[in-house]
Amino acid sequence: MNRKIVVGHLYPDLLNLYGDRGNIQCIMKRCEWRGIDAETIEYGLEDKVNFSKLDIVLLGGGSDREQMIVCQRLQEIREDFEAYVESDGVVIAVCGGYQLLGHYYQTDQGKMEGLHLVDIYTEQKPGRLIDNIVLKSELFDMPVVGFENHGGRTKIGNNKAFGKVLYGSGNDGESGYEGVIYKNVIGTYLHGPLLPKNPQVCDYLIERALERKYKEKIILAPLEDKEEMEANSYIVKRFL
Amino acid sequence: MGIRRILAVNTAKIIKTACQAAGKQGVTLAGKIAMKLDPSILAELASQVREGIFVTCGTNGKTTTNNLLCSAIRAEGKKVVCNHTGSNMLNGVVSAFVLSAKWNGKVDADYACIEIDEASTVRVFPYFKPDFMVLTNLFRDQLDRYGEIDITMNLLKKAMQMAPDMKVIVNGDDALSAYLAKDSGNAHVFFGIGDRYFREENTREIREGRFCKRCGERLIYHFYHYSQLGDYECPKCGFKRPWLDFNAKNILCGGKLGFTVDNFQISANYRGFYNIYNILAAYAAGKTAGLALKNYNKVLAEYNPQNGRMEEFRIGDTEIVLNLAKNPAGFNQNISAVMEDNRKKDIIVLINDNSQDGTDISWLWDVDFERFKDINTISITVSGIRCQDMRLRLKYVGIASRLEPDVEEAIRDRIAHGAGNLYVLVNYTALYDTHNILKKIEGEMR
Repeated sequence: MNRKIVVGHLYPDLLNLYGDRGNIQCIMKRCEWRGIDAETIEYGLEDKVNFSKLDIVLLGGGSDREQMIVCQRLQEIREDFEAYVESDGVVIAVCGGYQLLGHYYQTDQGKMEGLHLVDIYTEQKPGRLIDNIVLKSELFDMPVVGFENHGGRTKIGNNKAFGKVLYGSGNDGESGYEGVIYKNVIGTYLHGPLLPKNPQVCDYLIERALERKYKEKIILAPLEDKEEMEANSYIVKRFL
Repeated sequence: MGIRRILAVNTAKIIKTACQAAGKQGVTLAGKIAMKLDPSILAELASQVREGIFVTCGTNGKTTTNNLLCSAIRAEGKKVVCNHTGSNMLNGVVSAFVLSAKWNGKVDADYACIEIDEASTVRVFPYFKPDFMVLTNLFRDQLDRYGEIDITMNLLKKAMQMAPDMKVIVNGDDALSAYLAKDSGNAHVFFGIGDRYFREENTREIREGRFCKRCGERLIYHFYHYSQLGDYECPKCGFKRPWLDFNAKNILCGGKLGFTVDNFQISANYRGFYNIYNILAAYAAGKTAGLALKNYNKVLAEYNPQNGRMEEFRIGDTEIVLNLAKNPAGFNQNISAVMEDNRKKDIIVLINDNSQDGTDISWLWDVDFERFKDINTISITVSGIRCQDMRLRLKYVGIASRLEPDVEEAIRDRIAHGAGNLYVLVNYTALYDTHNILKKIEGEMR
């Protein structure tokens, strides 16, 4: 029986700032290469999001203005989104999308109410944190690499961080940690985009999605990841 | 006063000459030193321009548009100050004036054609108020340096309001630029391509400003030319593509470019649909300033870019085209221009991440590289500091590539073993060096 996953890309019209399309392309290709069917549904602001159909939800980054528009819309589907997360639905949220998962995002333009799906909050401070970044996540042996560009400083409450910062700023430039993990949700400031140079993260998401859907232990067939590994280790070697 | 100015002008000239002898460009350094020696030099020299000052802004097409405009005005028998090399921040602008001044510290010019980096306009305009601004387009570019497009738009609006008598010549097909012109309060004229040209549209392309800048509603597009350029309309507030004062009609594209504007036939031996906008923008600017531009076709025929914008080389039996490609909209248009050539070809793509390129290279994933896939694409070599990222990017659209970090090696290899038709697409900081490498190899093979 052919296995299949469905990826829901939320509001790519508004949240598509930092090559987020690459994350979708990565999930699709890595499924395709293994003979797993994969489909992406792009949702616009007017569309109703049916979470029961989805196996992975992707939320990207946008400008503050665009984030505000998305935020209002997300409040309307908050309960469905929460039920999806609490039933171990897989979510990957990047940059602005990551901030929106938390309790709030305070900017100099006002306070954006978040979705309260993970225990974080974000406050804008002067100066943006912009640079390449390298993390060590306890989920993986291979370091996670990417690029960060954010004015918000994120604090974590009771949840775990996605990784420890080896190079770069991370959540707030002080704690030494980056991102958040809660159940099958990963929130992170890393773009670049995140998944192509970090195939271990992509495969983790696919595995969790398949396990939830087919209710069995999944270990994906390994792929020949020469280009991925070399691109990843180039960043690690250059900055560490 | 006069002595300081003369000292500044002559020191700058010496620096420029010394830098060039050492193989460096030296343009921005010359401007910087001149400004140190005489802080009033830019205001003073700009005020000596007799008839008018043009500035060219916009994400893509600045250098080509500005240089074409300069050539067109010179063809009218006028003297023009111009920053040809594309050094377009404050020091580059200073340099253009200083290096064109005579030893006595005087500029003998009827016009100035100055391209300015959008974010630098507010730093340049305190020194002089231009008479005209050409605004080519607004696309996403180097988000780590400039931030979001909203920030660039705010800066440009501020700049326009600093020069309220400046007339703005704007791409009406770009909803962002058109909105900005109307919002600024400055007098404006619009240019654009009125009718639909492409029958099929690339629906995956990244488009900015899909939502109305005036009211926030999603814009309706009757058609797209490329990226977000096209015929748009807001269903809520009525904001729409303005009447085009300079409307390019009867478009011909593919190997050569041609169009008519005001019943005047324009033809050029260039590639790339985007160049229609550049040619049209320069024409609209000249006409708006009251110039006749009767020799415009001759100008276009003689225009031979020496600055890595579709610059052609011939080395042995290999034809080589060098072009700058530095953001998604520009790169997508580059790919279209390369693929217009249906002969067998090799392609080198060079990606650096120095600060002038933008250290964030995530934009590579917003470029539609799958369009390189073609039976006549013999090879693609990835080069530069971030060649690994570029190779990975191509892998995810099913294109295998050769990895050669050193662009000189990559070029020599393709000249020796390639199809005899080579395209070299590079981003900003590699442009000057790659140009010099090609000149060097050209010299060796002669």
